[in-house]
Formats: sequence, C-alpha cells, structure tokens
Amino acid sequence: MAPKNLLLAKDDGDDQQLFRDFLVHRRDVTLMPIAENGVELLAALELIKHANDLPSIIILDHNMPRLNGLQTLQILKREKRYSHIPVIVYSTYVDDDLIRESKDKGAFKVVSKPFTKEGYHSMIDEFVLSITKHSK
Amino acid sequence: MEQQNARYQSIEHLHRQLEEKERELEELRYQFEEARETIDAIRNGQIDALVVEGKDGHQLYTLQTADRTYRVFIEKMTEGAVTLSQQGIILYANTQFANMVKYPLSSVIGLSFDQFITPKAISQYRELFQNCWNADAKGEVYLLCDGDKIPVQLSLTTLELQDGLALSIIITDLSFQKTIQEQLRQRNEQLEIINRALEISNHDLQQFASVASHDLQEPVRKILIFSHLLRENLDLLSPDSIKYVEKIIESSTRMKRLIIDILSYSRLSANDFGIEEVNLNDVTRELLEDFDLQIEEKNARIIVTNLPLVQGNKGQLRQVFQNIISNALKFVKTDVQPIISISGKRIATKSFNSREDPGGDFALITFEDNGIGFDEIYLSKVFALFDRLNSKDKYEGTGIGMSIAKKIIDKHNGLITASSKEGAGATFKIILPLRHTPS
Repeated sequence: MAPKNLLLAKDDGDDQQLFRDFLVHRRDVTLMPIAENGVELLAALELIKHANDLPSIIILDHNMPRLNGLQTLQILKREKRYSHIPVIVYSTYVDDDLIRESKDKGAFKVVSKPFTKEGYHSMIDEFVLSITKHSK
Repeated sequence: MEQQNARYQSIEHLHRQLEEKERELEELRYQFEEARETIDAIRNGQIDALVVEGKDGHQLYTLQTADRTYRVFIEKMTEGAVTLSQQGIILYANTQFANMVKYPLSSVIGLSFDQFITPKAISQYRELFQNCWNADAKGEVYLLCDGDKIPVQLSLTTLELQDGLALSIIITDLSFQKTIQEQLRQRNEQLEIINRALEISNHDLQQFASVASHDLQEPVRKILIFSHLLRENLDLLSPDSIKYVEKIIESSTRMKRLIIDILSYSRLSANDFGIEEVNLNDVTRELLEDFDLQIEEKNARIIVTNLPLVQGNKGQLRQVFQNIISNALKFVKTDVQPIISISGKRIATKSFNSREDPGGDFALITFEDNGIGFDEIYLSKVFALFDRLNSKDKYEGTGIGMSIAKKIIDKHNGLITASSKEGAGATFKIILPLRHTPS
C-alpha cells in the first residue's frame, strides 16, 4: 500500500518537530513540508501540479495566525480541487463547540493534541485506518 | 290765635305721621336687605338653616341638600380645589389649596390662578386652560408656593353657574408620588449599573477561565510530552532522576485535569442550553462502557434499574452521571467488592421527602455505593468548588467534579444531595423535573 501523504499546518515549532521525529520512522505515512499557517498551506497546495501528488490527509492546527484552522478548512472545502481531501482539525482543547463548528464546515475528524509519543502514534494509526476505510 | 294753634297741631300731627312712615319704610328696607342677603347666602351655600317668623311663631327651615355634602366634601378632601372665572380669576378656593400655596385663604380669592404656576409650566397651563372649555383636561405642572415648587396634577372641568360658565380645578399634590418615583428610578438605575458591572465581571471571569485554560493547556502538554520522552531514556537516567521525572509527569497530569475541569465548569454558565428528551438508561449504559476498564480492574458490580426519561441537556446530564459514578468507583474499600446501584423512580413533588408517584412530575435517581463514604458534617463541602475530603495522594481528583454536577442539576431546576456515614458507603440523590421549564 502506498504511503499516505500528510500535509500539516501548524505554527508551533515544538509540535512540528515532534511530528517529524515521530513520523520519520513510519512507512505508511510521508510527511510533506509543514506549513506555518493556513495561508502557507494553501500556497503549498497551489504549487502541486498533479492531482495525484495532492496530500491524502490534511491536518490543521486550530490555533494559527493569519488563517486559523476553521477558516482554512472552509476555504479548502469550497475549492473543487481540494474538497475531497479529508481534513482533520487538531487542537489542544476540544469542546463541543469546536466539534460542531468543524463538522459543519466539513471536517473529517476533530482531535485533541496527544500527550505522549504513543498518543501521537495511535492518532496517526487511526487517521490512516479511517482514511483507508473512507477512500474505499 | 286758636286757629293758628289748630293748624300747628295738625302740621305736627302730619309731621309725626311722616316720621312714622319713614320709620316703617326704614324697617321695610332693612327687612328687604336682610331677605336679599339671606337669599344670597343660600345661593352661595353659606347657610345651612334659617328661621322664619310665621303666624304660629318661629319656624326653622334647614337646607339639607346635596349642596351641603358637596361643600363639606370639597373642604375636607386632601386635594386642592378652586373655581375660576372665564378670565382665570379665583372665585372660590378650599383651605387645602390655600395651604398648598401657603397663602391665607381670604386673600386667595380674586387672584389670578396663573400666578401660582411656575414660569416654566405656564405655557402648558395656558394650553390646558384654553382646551378645557371644550373637554375635560388633565396635566402635570409645578405650583409655586412661597418660593418652593411642588409637582401637581390639575384636573380641569367646566361648571355651569347661574352667571355663566366657570372652571373647576382639582389640584392633586404629586410630591410624594414623585419622590417615590424618583427613588424608584434611582434604585433601578443603581440596580442596572450593578447588573451591568456584574455581567461584565461574569463575562470577564468566563473569558479569563476560558483563555487561561486554553493557554495553560499547551505548556502542560509540552511538559508531559517531553518528560515522557525523557523517561524513555532509562539507561541515561539515575534512579533518582527517574523518580523526579515521574513526579513531573504526575504533577503535570494533575494540572492538565485541573485545567480541563475549570474549563468545563466555567463553560457551564456560558453554554447555550439545548434541551432534548434524555433516556437516562442509555446515558448510563454508554457511561458504563467508558468505565469498562476501571470496573473490571476493581471487580465492581453495577446494578442499574428503571431510570426515567427526562427533558434536559444530554451532554450535561451525562457529565453528572459520569462524575458521580467515577466518584463511586474511586472511593472504594480495598477489601470489599465494590457494589454500585443506580435506580430511579417517579415522585410527586420536588422534595427528597416526597412520596413515590408513578404519574409524578419528578424523577428521583439514587446512586448508592459501599465505598469509604464520608462524615456528613462535611456534606456542604462535597459540592463546593475545589473542596476535597480526601487527600489527593490516596484518591486522585480535582475537587471540581461534584461542583459541576451541582451546577448542572441547578441549571435543570433540580436538586442534588448526598448522605453517608464514614466507612459505610455514600448515597447521592438527584431530583429532576420530567419536563424542563426554563428558569
């Protein structure tokens, strides 16, 4: 099975590094260059020429400068070229409001940030599993 | 000479007769004058009775007409009353009016009424005075009284007197009413200011709790992640260092839970309150699935019977059940199999003493455990924010769980209580109205 391309937008350097450290050993997921915020993420997507090279999962940190997670999500879902890509909203604190708003805007999942290495891995496991189910 | 004497005598006689007639005339004039005055007095209402000399002696005639009652009434009433000519001159005034304007009654008559109106109100009075000849009129003006002014209401009505139209004005002193109104207005204003301040401070507090919790979460998360990573390098760490890392993880885990609990408590006030039919059996079943691991670990037995359907916020009611069940699973005795029973019945009134009533409007839900219990002298502490009855070393928890439960039950217009004996298990009881009524 081809590895899933994962595109991530988040402004927190520590968290970016954690993603890189934890994912570098995984064969089922390739981490694309991480965008600092929603604006950068959209710009990075624009640069991808072939639809085949588009990411299979997009993870958006909710708390980002310029375009936050929900705003970016809304733009992605309006673009025909990107609307099929499952988007995961990722936040330190997840409450009912965030879940409702994200789902309304077409988010695939809303998750709270893990507290351990195992947490990161099981989170990614779950993404991969549900994306595989989703695309079948 | 004799003849002359006789003529003198007859002249004198005539003279006397003339004088007598003049006296009679005088007498008649006097009587006429008296009669006219009497008639005037009767007409003006100054006389209640009169004595008339008749054939059979003196006779008393009393004037017991509606007029007298009316005059007494006008004099005794607490309102001022005046009658004005069409030129606005005071023809009549009662004592009360004179007292109001602090003028002797005798000198009020004949004055122009508008001189008792404050300059500011004069145009309003003139308008009333003009309009009242067509239809009764009412208005509020200020009356001048010896340098002071008092708020009054004027009620103007035209009167048909014998010499044409006149105007009657009833003057009601509004000072007391105005003072009360003013006090009320001031109180309301103060209340509004306090209310606004309270709202702002409430909002600030919520905002603060929410922001603080959000922003506090991230550093705690980092501490946790990095200390977890540190702990993985077991071969690099001395036994002491491992112990310290463990402590860091423990403390930051606790802090993380505290933050989440504060956040959910503060959000309870802000949350819009969605109401739906909630099947408490389903809520409990789902919860027990979540607690599966803990139940197995502690070999606990959970007995659930007959929970009712209520109207409420499902997420919040679930939270209440979760906090109570989690408490029951937490405070178990180590040497006894934990048994937790959750049961429901319908009751007639919103009281823990209410009788059971299968058609009652309220649900009573009882959570009973056989855990360590608590001394009832601490009952008030069970539901207080941050109060803990047990040391956090032995039993983890933030002390917010039961406060959240209480706040939610309050929002549902319900009741919550607990009873226990130290070492003999605890019982939590909840009353919920079956139909939700907004408070």
